[in-house]
Amino acid sequence: MNDNTMSIPHLIMSASTVVQLVMLLLVVGSILSWVVIFQRSIAVRRAKREYSQFEESFWSGVDLNELYREIPADDPRHGAEHIFQSGFREFNRLMPKTRNADTILEGVQRSMRVAWSREEDRLTQHLTFLATVASASPYIGLFGTVWGIMGSFQSLSMSQQATLATVAPWIAEALIATAMGLFAAIPAVIFYNRLSNDVGRLLGKYEDFAEEFHAILHRNLQGRDSSKSAG
Amino acid sequence: MPQDSSRDPQDVGYGWPTILAIGVHVLIVAFSLISLPTRTEEPDTTSIVQATFVSTETFTDQAQQASEQQAALQAGAQAEEPPPEPAPEPPAPQEDTQAQAEAAARAEAEAQAAQERERALEEAQAEAQRREQEAERQAEEEAAQARAREEEAQRLAEERAAEEQARVEAEAEQQRLREEQARQEQEAEAERQREEEARREREAQEQRQREAEAARQREAEARAAAEAEAAMQRQLEGEAAAAAANAQQAQQAANNFSNIVQRAVEQAWIIPGGSGDSMRAVISVRLGPSGEVLLANIVTSSGNSAFDQSAVQAVEQAAPFRELLQLTPEQQRYIRQNPMTFNFSPGGVR
Repeated sequence: MNDNTMSIPHLIMSASTVVQLVMLLLVVGSILSWVVIFQRSIAVRRAKREYSQFEESFWSGVDLNELYREIPADDPRHGAEHIFQSGFREFNRLMPKTRNADTILEGVQRSMRVAWSREEDRLTQHLTFLATVASASPYIGLFGTVWGIMGSFQSLSMSQQATLATVAPWIAEALIATAMGLFAAIPAVIFYNRLSNDVGRLLGKYEDFAEEFHAILHRNLQGRDSSKSAG
Repeated sequence: MPQDSSRDPQDVGYGWPTILAIGVHVLIVAFSLISLPTRTEEPDTTSIVQATFVSTETFTDQAQQASEQQAALQAGAQAEEPPPEPAPEPPAPQEDTQAQAEAAARAEAEAQAAQERERALEEAQAEAQRREQEAERQAEEEAAQARAREEEAQRLAEERAAEEQARVEAEAEQQRLREEQARQEQEAEAERQREEEARREREAQEQRQREAEAARQREAEARAAAEAEAAMQRQLEGEAAAAAANAQQAQQAANNFSNIVQRAVEQAWIIPGGSGDSMRAVISVRLGPSGEVLLANIVTSSGNSAFDQSAVQAVEQAAPFRELLQLTPEQQRYIRQNPMTFNFSPGGVR
């Protein structure tokens, strides 16, 4: 029982095939979950920055037509900008066709809801994978450990003397699977909570913005109706 | 919108996240490998040590011994050191002193000759200078020159005479030394002769002593042989007695042991129901080396097979009689060679 046979690489290499497959699965899951963690963290931070920039320019008192014209039609925008774009486009399209303010506002609201839903889908992309890794990998690791200990006891029944020295390497290599499962699951849980919280807050801000924009359009239409009836 | 479902340029790519994720894993693996040696050292210190007791000497004892050995070595070295000092003194007898004296005389003579030669050379140089000075003064002092020449000749003659005298003296000294050597050699020869005579006398005496000793030894050997024979006989008698005593002891031990076994068997025996008081079964038991039952035979059946079987089972139940291992090997052999018999009857085991 020298340190060579008890070293972690040696234990991994001498494990049974099923346990090795489980370990491979867990390593792949861990790497993918970390890819998702980095990719989502960067994306969420960028979305937050873009939202704050857009909010600043929206509430700076600029004319909404100008703001709409600044956004190129062929360049799709994200976040609040996307919601504003689709809502204002729908408003502009409906304005010449109908004079009924309720119909226009309904159309605008619907198109903004669609845009918000797309944004939600974009932001929560791959977060379900993170949640899957977080919840499933401990079980997968536990399965590897149980399988390894089963194999160790099967081979133990064949050997004459069952000392601690003969059992220890088997159990150690079986327990590595559990360790790897936890290793994959812990960061996935932490970052899933963090990212889903961030995304939820961002979507709440988008929703608030959509409501505010809707209120502005409503005020505009009311003003026009009153001017029409007055004129 | 079709742009949203396809990869849009503003969305974050997967290149950097992948590299970062793999980097994180490589770092963790590297840390686990680096911290491994410290982790594997711990079981070594806490693991069970299968030590065999080799000697009662502790390390401190060994250290003391080492220091003592060093001290002894130093003492030995100190004891050895003095001999080399007196050693050069003994091999300085007359021959060496002679040679030394000769060498000294020769060296002195040579040194003297050399000094004189040097002096002569110096003087010759001085004379040459003087001659040059005189050549200048030749015209003025011819008479003085002639006198000077005479003086020079005289001086040269004196020097030559002195050299010859020194040579003669050195030769005389050498002759004297040679004569002394011859005398000493003669004395040494005389001494040697005397010593040889003494040796011869001593050898004769020793031979006489040896013969006497041999006679004495022969007598002693004869006496010792007789004594040894007597001792052998006595020892043989003693061994026979000891063997008898051992056999007795073994028998006693076997009795004790069979009592113990009997009690154990009695406790393990479950008497089957419906066995009459007059039933008797005799079981002979052979034991293995560690007290296990090799064979339990029914010597005399009781007529009831259930009763016989219960008796055999009782022996087998009580089986490993570990008390056997506490006896001496001879007693164990005695017990194993003579099978024990047990008398099973409802009253008890005898």
